[in-house]
Amino acid sequence: MDDAAPRASFPTRYRKALLGSLSVVLFFAAWQAMFLFVPFNPLFISKPSLIASGLVDLITSGDLFRDLAVSAVPFLYGFSAAVLIGVPLGIVMGWRVRVGYALDPLMTVFYASPLVALAPLVVIFFGVGVSGKTLIIFFLSVFPFIFNAYAGVRAVDPLLINVVRSLGGSEKDLYFKVIFPSILPYIVAGARIAIGRALIGVLVGEFFAASEGIGYAISRFGDLFALDRMFACIIVIMIIAVVLTEGIRWTERTAFPWRTEQ
Amino acid sequence: MSEIQAVDANVVAPAADLAAPRKGVWQRFEPTILGFGSLVVLLLVWEFLPRLITMQEGTKLFFTVPSDIGGTLWQMFATGAIWEPLGVSASAFAIGLSIAIAVGLPVGVLLGRSAALNAMFDPFITAFNATPRLVFLPLFLLWFGLGMWSKVMIVFIGALFPILINTYEGVRNADRVLINVVRSFGATEWGIARLVVVPNALPYIVVGLRLAIGRAVLGVVVAEFFGSEAGLGVVMVRAASRFQVDVVFAGLIVFAVLSLLMTGLVKLLEDRLSRWRPQHINAI
Repeated sequence: MDDAAPRASFPTRYRKALLGSLSVVLFFAAWQAMFLFVPFNPLFISKPSLIASGLVDLITSGDLFRDLAVSAVPFLYGFSAAVLIGVPLGIVMGWRVRVGYALDPLMTVFYASPLVALAPLVVIFFGVGVSGKTLIIFFLSVFPFIFNAYAGVRAVDPLLINVVRSLGGSEKDLYFKVIFPSILPYIVAGARIAIGRALIGVLVGEFFAASEGIGYAISRFGDLFALDRMFACIIVIMIIAVVLTEGIRWTERTAFPWRTEQ
Repeated sequence: MSEIQAVDANVVAPAADLAAPRKGVWQRFEPTILGFGSLVVLLLVWEFLPRLITMQEGTKLFFTVPSDIGGTLWQMFATGAIWEPLGVSASAFAIGLSIAIAVGLPVGVLLGRSAALNAMFDPFITAFNATPRLVFLPLFLLWFGLGMWSKVMIVFIGALFPILINTYEGVRNADRVLINVVRSFGATEWGIARLVVVPNALPYIVVGLRLAIGRAVLGVVVAEFFGSEAGLGVVMVRAASRFQVDVVFAGLIVFAVLSLLMTGLVKLLEDRLSRWRPQHINAI
């Protein structure tokens, strides 16, 4: 690292952030300016000024927050269920060697197959309400937790386990003082992957036949050729996705700094 | 790991052998036996449980058993009904993935070689990579219509980022000393790329390709669910709406096998290419 180097001047230190923000600003400016030269067809494309006013409309009318709230419920249910089932299952697979042998191929087959392909069935079985969406989100996001907890337990330092055992620690001590703290970084890394997949689950569930929710809003605005609002919703989803993933990355860096060079 | 432990056990004392009397065929094949055993048990339970308990008529409509799925799969191949939709899906996959490689490789090399360009593109790459690419499907449907090209675009945008980001990582991790040596001997930027950067990045690129294949298969499936009139995904959605659950599972199996087959082939290539490389390569 260059930390030892003499303090660089402001533009040098923040060069990357400056260039990044500059290019984002330039991108939107170019997008806006493009239509001074190209004929503007609102059925086909939108421009940043219209998108911004569409976004303001969506926010002030409360539609955006209503749709986001509708989508958030199955997201939270499905994601929590994935944590609550995936992490213990992964721990058992890692800790009980035979359970690991027995379940590893099965889980790998599930993880590798495009499970999203079962979404039409889930929708037909459970409908397009909260339960159907929750199930899709759960199936998509549970496997990163299983596999990361599994890998985490297998990477636990055996020395620590032996020390706790030698000093008379119980099985409970092993779980709470050794295994759980050492797999925590793995679980957080799994959550980062799982979030993206859970968002796919929200969209798939709502593109199918929902009547509310942010995914439904995008496809409805597309059907209505309301491109300004559609772009506004797409940008909102992008912001949410970036905030969630980068938030987890930040947690990983600050809480488990020794794992950044993973 | 297990090899090291086995060696230790022999070194420590003969008593270690007494402590582990069941050493042999069972122990060596235990993972395989247990792994396949659980798969077989699951399939058997799935097959025979519905015959032992009686289900309501309504539930039966939603249910299928492995033998039916296998029969349907066999039928699809025997009558040749699968080839046309599979061909449509496969061409969308192939075109989208090819464009993703054609764009992702050069852009990745460029971003890896230029810090300024990298800083400028970084916000966009982070944003697009974090966002589920499916969100653009309604937009692509407007722009490209129902059919091949909106699928190709979803495949392209899904497969692009794993390739681009891995290429970038591989290029950036190229040995500075080697680059300086080649430059001192008068190589141009093109020569540096050809002699040092690309060979170094190759294993990373293959890892990116493997991730991209998974994303591309997912893209084909999802794009066909919502905006297409031909392809294996369309066959599956139509079957689901007619309660032909066995057809949906047959389609899932075809997609899963193809996906596993392709990623397996790339994995072989990956092992071959990184054999000389001592350290572990990180995938994104």
